[in-house]
Amino acid sequence: MFRCECFDMYKDVVPYSVAWSWQKSIVKERQALMERNEDCSDTLIILQHHPVYTLGTASSEENLNFDIKDAPYSVYRTERGGEVTYHGPGQLVMYPIINLRYHKMDLHWYLRTLEEVVIRVLSSMFSIKASRLEGFTGVWVGDQKLAAIGIRVSKWIAYHGLALNVTTDLTPFQRIVPCGIRNRQVGSIKGLLGEPRYSNGNGTEDIYTDACQLMDITHNSLLKEFFEIFKFTLHHRSTSDLKFQEEEPSSLLTGKHS
Amino acid sequence: MPTIHPTHPFRTDQANIERLTSLLLYLGQPKRGSTEKDNMALRLWASSTANALGVSCASKAHLFPSFSLSRCFSTVLDGLKYATSHEWVKHEGSVATIGITDHAQDHLGEVVFVELPEPGVSVSKGGSFGAVESVKATSDVNSPISGEVIEVNSKLSESPGLINSSPYEEGWMVKLKPSSPSDLESLMGPKDYTKFCEEEDAAH
Repeated sequence: MFRCECFDMYKDVVPYSVAWSWQKSIVKERQALMERNEDCSDTLIILQHHPVYTLGTASSEENLNFDIKDAPYSVYRTERGGEVTYHGPGQLVMYPIINLRYHKMDLHWYLRTLEEVVIRVLSSMFSIKASRLEGFTGVWVGDQKLAAIGIRVSKWIAYHGLALNVTTDLTPFQRIVPCGIRNRQVGSIKGLLGEPRYSNGNGTEDIYTDACQLMDITHNSLLKEFFEIFKFTLHHRSTSDLKFQEEEPSSLLTGKHS
Repeated sequence: MPTIHPTHPFRTDQANIERLTSLLLYLGQPKRGSTEKDNMALRLWASSTANALGVSCASKAHLFPSFSLSRCFSTVLDGLKYATSHEWVKHEGSVATIGITDHAQDHLGEVVFVELPEPGVSVSKGGSFGAVESVKATSDVNSPISGEVIEVNSKLSESPGLINSSPYEEGWMVKLKPSSPSDLESLMGPKDYTKFCEEEDAAH
């Protein structure tokens, strides 16, 4: 079993730049420890973001259906892999900061395992049969992508992570070609389950009664599956311990800050 | 068709056959730094294996025991030095050429993007000088030695896949002017690096 410290902010909507800075400062601290042949435990940050678009290292601005000078939300070019995506309220974002040396030094294994976390959540909580699509990292239900994944690895410390649409308003995805994939869609758990139906007296149980509850159920299950698959013991940490590092000015491509 | 145990469990058999075929074609070509005897042996092996694949796969199934492709086929060249982070260095006079090894590119999968430094930048031993992206994961590439970047391989921006198809030749990443000759001494030779890879793969 491995120790993992969890900064659980799943009800909070955090600016992208702040969460990004937290990750970078944790990774930097960890690499400094490793230079001295020490290490600390793995970390997980879970939260929601204000509306924002992010690009990966190879991302093409052609996958934006808007002029970057007139972007509807902030656009950041980040150091993660993968193409453009949208983050916003109603989407649970997980940032595991994991030393793959203690798990498996195999990026493919790590990506497949992150997908597995989400596949199990969808199956066990909502009886939604999700799957992988060969060649297209992420979690799919039919031709709808529910979870996007993109990571960065530096000396086997992996960061950035995954984003699962729970009750996300999906319209901002129409302004981009999500993950560079043109002929498929983006979905959410709420979209697949439909609006909550109240008891009709036949004893049919609703899975959820409102959006908050859906977020709660998904969050609880995500943590449970994540900790089980990676064999972590969970230790909650206070978010006041998170440090902010100065952001590189070139990473924000638009005038706005979110 | 034989079911070759894939390095990556979610690749199809067809994808593995294609990878094996291109690896065989690569191995069939003479390599700088290998002896002529090695090259001949590799070419003979490559062609007989290709025949085995083409003729009757079922009967040749015993030739492909179920273990990782990369353990069997990753090339390690003589004449280069290797870092534990899977970069290689070729030192020729006052220039050191650096790239990532066949073992590294095999584990990464298809490289879709390469980030390289500007000439003139200084890099230190163990520090990152660039990155490669594959399968939604972007990984740092670290320099095995300290020095100043004198040239970068600009072909990699249009053709990042050169790292996969030719990791030791056309897929070279940067050329440095080494600043500390003793850096090279702490790197591994081909035999030690081969052993290091085997141990690392076995442990995971």
